[in-house]
Amino acid sequence: MPSDASAPLARPSGRVRSIFRHLPLPGEREGGLLATLVALSLLIAFGSHGAFFTPVNMDNLLVSAAITAIPAIGMTVVILTGGIDVSIGSMLGLVAAIGGLAFEAHWSLAAVVPIFCLAGAGLGLFNAALIIPGRVPPVIATLGTLSIFRMLVFLVTGSNWITEIPPSLTTIFIVTRIGPLPMASIIALLMLALAAFILARFRMGRHVYAIGNNEEAARLAGIRVRRIKLYAYVLLGLLTGIAALMTLGQSPMVQTSTGEGFELKVIAAVVLGGTELSGGRGTILGTLLGTLIVELVGDGVVLLHIQPFWSGVLLGAIILFSVGAAWRPARSV
Amino acid sequence: MRGRGFESTRILLLLAFFVLGLGGFALGDVGILSRANLTSMAVFAVEIGIVALGQTFVICGGEGGIDLSVGAIAALAQVFLGLMLVAHMPWPLAVAIALASGVAMGGVNALAITRFTIPPIIVTLATMFAFNGLALVFTGGINIDLTAMPPSFLALGQGSAFGLPVQLAVIYLPLLLLFAFLQHFGRFGRALYLAGTSELAARLAGIRTTELRGWTYVISGLLSSLAGVIGAARLGTARPDAAEQMNLVSIAIVVLGGTGIFGGDGSVIGTAVATAVIAVVDYGLSYNNINPIYQAGVMGIILITLVLVENMLRGRGGLRQVWSYWARAISRDPLQDS
Repeated sequence: MPSDASAPLARPSGRVRSIFRHLPLPGEREGGLLATLVALSLLIAFGSHGAFFTPVNMDNLLVSAAITAIPAIGMTVVILTGGIDVSIGSMLGLVAAIGGLAFEAHWSLAAVVPIFCLAGAGLGLFNAALIIPGRVPPVIATLGTLSIFRMLVFLVTGSNWITEIPPSLTTIFIVTRIGPLPMASIIALLMLALAAFILARFRMGRHVYAIGNNEEAARLAGIRVRRIKLYAYVLLGLLTGIAALMTLGQSPMVQTSTGEGFELKVIAAVVLGGTELSGGRGTILGTLLGTLIVELVGDGVVLLHIQPFWSGVLLGAIILFSVGAAWRPARSV
Repeated sequence: MRGRGFESTRILLLLAFFVLGLGGFALGDVGILSRANLTSMAVFAVEIGIVALGQTFVICGGEGGIDLSVGAIAALAQVFLGLMLVAHMPWPLAVAIALASGVAMGGVNALAITRFTIPPIIVTLATMFAFNGLALVFTGGINIDLTAMPPSFLALGQGSAFGLPVQLAVIYLPLLLLFAFLQHFGRFGRALYLAGTSELAARLAGIRTTELRGWTYVISGLLSSLAGVIGAARLGTARPDAAEQMNLVSIAIVVLGGTGIFGGDGSVIGTAVATAVIAVVDYGLSYNNINPIYQAGVMGIILITLVLVENMLRGRGGLRQVWSYWARAISRDPLQDS
């Protein structure tokens, strides 16, 4: 782990107590993640006897990383404001089911794409309505909607698979490519760059950090706290809708289980990326690196012929060790 | 409002819910009131009820206390138990080791939360992954058949004592008494209320709040593994995917029972009555052959509605606020902040 990665951002006190104490600072965290990423890739590349750098595997990896990274942007913003949304797995399934029905009714692609976006944003708005005016704690509200949305998937699809997904989705998101990258990854990268820019440079982005650091102070400073929080959940819903569209491009069918466990993957990516759950700290770059690590673990488990059951164990361990690495001694009164 | 503990109004309300729910299902089919059905309902309630006792303590401790790993701990402890029984270990020893594994798993949560100051929701989310994964790894994803095990073991989940199911009469009710005593009269429970109400006040009063909270996760781990053991004895099988819904349901029960999600209030008595209400709803739905996914959905609706109604009663947010928020949104000045 490069301890000098943050030279320009060294603490003013200049006291170096432990290498770990420096990890949560911007720059250092990303350096550590990058090192982990490189190490993991090398490990998988050597362990898999050349199966890693094949075009097929790279495409799979890049597309599923894009599908995770896009909602992870929204999740980063939600967590930065001090909230969380654990319902997006079921939300992805429900949006895919609604859109799938439209495909089954032979609507044109141009008509269905807005449906995905609107359905996602609408479900995000539903969560926001419970959390912001209703004051239901985000964990409770979204744990509830996690099972409510899943119930709706069953109701909407009548427990049947939807298989009439037009192949043009696959063409657009995966077959079309610019340079080495499939279109899904290009879209994800553009969105990540835009989000990083807005969070770092725009007033609204700075407000997001201000709310996460001290909501009361932000409110007193005239920041429209409730409105920005609302936008965060709606954004997450919208991005989940886009991810649902890409998921159908990746595997053209909607099952009742579509999206199960997806929320955990996205939250894992964001938390791995250094965004603190108490809000106010975290970067989009960290989220991107966190996403890539989460996807690499999944890919590595397959390529190294590890029993698939281990992927949950590995992911859990990586989250614990990565967040634990930012350990500071317990504060005292 | 905080630190109130036992709320007789809420408990009466819940009892009314219980009677109404049972009556409602009985109107549909009076057969649900048969002795066999009431017994199955109680048997179902015991496992989730035990887990909810631990969850009550965890949430009561405040500072974002929540344990999402309860189902995973139950499943992994059950798998350990199954593997040891299949290896012909005497069952009391196997049960003891399974419970010890629950303590150890709760200990992992506690250590990560208190020593490394990682937020509880992240720790228990990660350990939920990890323990569920390990349960699959150890079994290869296959159920372990325990039907050939000694009847004295299977009696833990299938026998009866004093006219009630064993797990209710011999395990749950004594545990409930113990926890009610601990919470309302014991030093531990009183200190936990204070820690959940005001971290600072508790510390200034000389309470080791961090340590206290750590123990709640150990207790939750122990109780979850106990639920896993009872489940294995009841069904005569150890399943790596047992108890998947346990985290959501146990949290719903605790919140329903009057423990505020921000800690510092509530009572295990409320939790126990809420367990009965949830058991009626759940059993009633499956008695009418409703898909388990819909049961989870109904549980989610109950959970959210409850918190909304509670917020409304306490005059902060709630349904009325949701309504006026949207009423304003569609009128002239949309989304104006208050």
